Amino acid sequence: MSEVCIAGYARSPFTFAHKGALIHTRPDDLGGIVVKALVARLGVDPTEIEDVIVGCAFPEGEQGFNVARLIGLLAGIPTSAAGATVNRFCGSSMQAIHIAAGAIRMGAGEAFVCAGIESMSRVPMGGFNPMPNPTLYETMPEVFMSMGETAEVLARKYQIRREEQEAFAVESHRKAAAASGGGKLKGEIVPIETEAGVVEVDGCIRPDTNAEKLKTLQPAFAADGTVTAGTSSPLTDGAAAVFVCSEDYAKKKGLKVLARVKSIAVAGCAPEVMGIGPVLATRKALARAGLQLTDMDLIEINEAFAVQVLACGRELGFDQTKMNLDGGAVALGHPLGATGARITGKAAQLLQREGKRYALATQCIGGGQGIATVLEAA
Amino acid sequence: MAIAKVAVIGSGVMGGAIAAHAANAGAEVVLLDIVPEGGRNRSALAEGAIERMLKTDPAPFMDRRFAKRIRTGNLDDHLNQLKDVDWIIEAVVEKLEIKQALYRKIEGVRRDGSIVSSNTSTIRLVALTEGLPERLRRDFLITHFFNPPRYMRLLELVAGPSTRRDAIEAINHFCDLSLGKGVIEANDTPGFIANRIGTFWIQVALNEALDSGLPIEEADAVLSRPFGIPKTGVFALMDLVGIDLMPLVGRSLYNAVKEGDAFRAIHREAEPVRRMIEGGLIGRKGKGGFYRLAEHDGKKVKEAIDLKSLAYAKARKPRLECVSVARKGGLPALFEHPEPAGGYAWRVMSRTLAYAAALVPEIAGSIQAVDDAMRLGYNWGQGPFELIDKIGPRWFAERLKADGQTVPSLVARAAESGGFYRVEAGRRVALAPTGSYRPIERPKGVLLLADLRLAAKPLLRNRSASLWDIGDGVAALEFHTKMNALDPDILGLMRQSIELIGAKHKALVIYNEGDNFSAGVNLGLALFAINLGAWPMLEDLVKQGQQTFAALRDAPFPVVGAPSGLALGGGCEVLLHCDAVQAHAESYIGLVETGVGLIPGWGGCRAMLARGLGKKGFGGAMPAISKVFETIGLAKVSRSAFEAMELGFLREGDGITANRDRLLSDAKARALALVPGYKPPPAPTFKLPGKTARVALAIAVKGMSITGKVTAHDQVVAKELAFVLSGGDTDTVDQTTDDSLAKLERAAFMRLLREPKTLARMEHTLDTGKPLRN
Repeated sequence: MSEVCIAGYARSPFTFAHKGALIHTRPDDLGGIVVKALVARLGVDPTEIEDVIVGCAFPEGEQGFNVARLIGLLAGIPTSAAGATVNRFCGSSMQAIHIAAGAIRMGAGEAFVCAGIESMSRVPMGGFNPMPNPTLYETMPEVFMSMGETAEVLARKYQIRREEQEAFAVESHRKAAAASGGGKLKGEIVPIETEAGVVEVDGCIRPDTNAEKLKTLQPAFAADGTVTAGTSSPLTDGAAAVFVCSEDYAKKKGLKVLARVKSIAVAGCAPEVMGIGPVLATRKALARAGLQLTDMDLIEINEAFAVQVLACGRELGFDQTKMNLDGGAVALGHPLGATGARITGKAAQLLQREGKRYALATQCIGGGQGIATVLEAA
Repeated sequence: MAIAKVAVIGSGVMGGAIAAHAANAGAEVVLLDIVPEGGRNRSALAEGAIERMLKTDPAPFMDRRFAKRIRTGNLDDHLNQLKDVDWIIEAVVEKLEIKQALYRKIEGVRRDGSIVSSNTSTIRLVALTEGLPERLRRDFLITHFFNPPRYMRLLELVAGPSTRRDAIEAINHFCDLSLGKGVIEANDTPGFIANRIGTFWIQVALNEALDSGLPIEEADAVLSRPFGIPKTGVFALMDLVGIDLMPLVGRSLYNAVKEGDAFRAIHREAEPVRRMIEGGLIGRKGKGGFYRLAEHDGKKVKEAIDLKSLAYAKARKPRLECVSVARKGGLPALFEHPEPAGGYAWRVMSRTLAYAAALVPEIAGSIQAVDDAMRLGYNWGQGPFELIDKIGPRWFAERLKADGQTVPSLVARAAESGGFYRVEAGRRVALAPTGSYRPIERPKGVLLLADLRLAAKPLLRNRSASLWDIGDGVAALEFHTKMNALDPDILGLMRQSIELIGAKHKALVIYNEGDNFSAGVNLGLALFAINLGAWPMLEDLVKQGQQTFAALRDAPFPVVGAPSGLALGGGCEVLLHCDAVQAHAESYIGLVETGVGLIPGWGGCRAMLARGLGKKGFGGAMPAISKVFETIGLAKVSRSAFEAMELGFLREGDGITANRDRLLSDAKARALALVPGYKPPPAPTFKLPGKTARVALAIAVKGMSITGKVTAHDQVVAKELAFVLSGGDTDTVDQTTDDSLAKLERAAFMRLLREPKTLARMEHTLDTGKPLRN
């Protein structure tokens, strides 16, 4: 049975929703451009692609109509490849990778494009016509709790002070600014042409942010809360894609493998503490890989909120020096459906760049879930 | 010549705001200023002006997006942008050499036939154009705006002997129809009209207060309301304008007027004012002025200055008997009253009015030009000649004589013939400087009920409303209650009107000439009924309103609403049931019921929902429901007719009129345009998600409550609003009729009416005019 490999990773710049450089770009177009660039960079024969699997948290409007199929066609992938849209909220495009991994292990295909998109400018979080279930709202209102509120629940539960969250945010921006400024992100970013010009750098990073500036922000989700816009990931537009294939295929085609997928897991938790989801998923994935957290050389964890990563850190005991080397979502942004592909691709890429063996990629998911992937350098 | 592109040079308070107002009028605007010394950004001044104006309150822009219509730049790098501009307005510092140098610069780039004007308030045109080329003199005039230009309606237009008539007409037309100004052609005399009289008035008021020791609170009280003058009177007005400007304006006028002018006799540079300016007490823009807001124990206290000691003390609210007696005995009773304020008022107003009377025809060709200027430029309720008519011209002339003051010949003539204004054969006529009476001509497109009522009787009338025939088969329904608040009499007359018009007329316009179209339902009346526990009567009133407005919508003829000023609550609901709206640009429209703990009960919820659902967009009812929920729930009020369109109170295709005086005529034209083949719109039907929508809205409200944005009672009100907007117990596949939604609306309204916290809100608002956040 063939190993599952990650052989390529690319993404669009991530820019602010509602005011950033990509607000006029349709998310399906954005996904199409990124997928097309990924396939071209790898030089693979597109007729050999089994499926285009695209994660999206609010698959409606311009992200609707089974957008994965449309993205495949927009990217110039022949009609012979299939297309499926996946929704696991923020875990959507990591789930796309998991689906491909499962299929490869089943012998149900060798080459997959696993992507994610979200234009939070053009399709609002919550969708255009939110219709929450009244019965569930009566029995379990926390299912519909806003993400910010769940962050405040964690801040209280784990007694994580505002200053600690702000220090985390400053560090995330510092790392992202260093990576961006040092040209370390150039290789993964696909320039996007817009009417106003070519967009080729991330738009959300604030290199000059500091504790003093963050201190002045009002709490965003509770009058007496600790979480601010500065310690949350911003609403973001962006797309990301990874190329997932069997190790045999990679060898046959002479593709440079970035990492093998060692194990995968998803887990559920209480909705009001959704930010803790990575803890359960990580434990499961590590157990399946027969490894410990201490074996992980690199950790890519999505920073939905600073407080949520800090809480996971308390439970799991992260080594901060291994975490989010090029910055996380607080600085880079979090286009919901695209983030999973970004952090999994980033973890694989970092294994190569840093010359390390094991990496963990993990995320929390709204509604109370976690998702995790353990990678091993090829 | 049409004006489509306007340039303003000088981005100070006046220049910037004139540019903003030209943008409000839809013009393409260029705003230039000098290059600041030492700055890196060479266009920083003009750019800074836009930024500043986006934060200014009251807003110079009618819609924030209009700021994009202004291109900013500097005089060194962007002078070339003037080459295709139709009208160039100079609004730079009041220095002749600087202005003339600028004109020469402009002359080098501007196109043939473009018009150049100055916003000067103190320099005469003859001086501004001296030595300038004939080409410029032909295209040059003075356009004197008043501050703030968006809100003050006066525009004094001064032409020179060489100015082209068609240039004057083009500017007059644009300022009238597009900027909404009351354009008054003034003669090229010092201070033109309004400031000539206004400066005199302020100076004499200050002199007399200093000499008599009358406290400034009393001076302002007696000089304001009894004369229909804003409550700022003189001293609070100076605080607003800037006390530092007083000596400059006074000196400039002193030097400009002829020997023997009455201003020369009263002009004084008062010592206390000099000391105040030295101490930085220059009014609201400084550390304080004649009044200031001081903080005592965290509370803001208004203080007034003592003109002798220059010490502040808590401002008193004077209770003047001379003011009360004037209510019955008229202004003569006020002037004759033994209180010091009575004599003070006589000395100030008699001299000011006599001064104004002596200035016609020197400063303007007609007395109505002077009256208009003081009304539009100083917000006086009546101009000087109208005030003399109110006092009684004969009494006024005799009292002047008794005082040893000169009686101006126009006053003597008016005293003989019974007044400056008269009604002859149903038309208002005015005393001309020649001594004869001439009819007051209105420009084409100006139609006023005020004129109409001199010649005709209303078709229908009760104590709250009247129906007028405004010609061509169109009737106009006028409210005339206090603040034009809606009451059962208005509803009654509305129903009567619908019947009458159906038989005899083609269309109806709902319009009035009050400051406000309607401030909403008469809260006092509602409170009275609540306190009596008259629930069936209240419910009947709600039902009556619903039925009357539905009848308006279903009437077999077109109905056009024509608001100006506030159109709140029920006033807004009237508009929502019209076929079309022709709104004055200064229309402040909103459904503010939640502020008093209620929801719109007369169809406002339904009409807004029907409009929202009718818009094309992504499927599903929630976007419309959420938007209406937010607009009504947060009691949003538009700050212009343009904003009202964004908020959905006006529809695309509704009209906006810039000039208040043209509103009725425009509304009538709109109504007539709807007449051919008119069919009333079908009553709306709805497909609403019921409980599901309520959950979605509840989630949003919960978020707002956690962040402290809504109070406990806000949540109670929001829940009722959500109940109506969700369609009650319905489902997304079922159809809800307008009638069944009206029942929900009424029931929710009645439930809220019984909430003690709603009652508390209503009482508070009625007492203070402000909302209570409980």
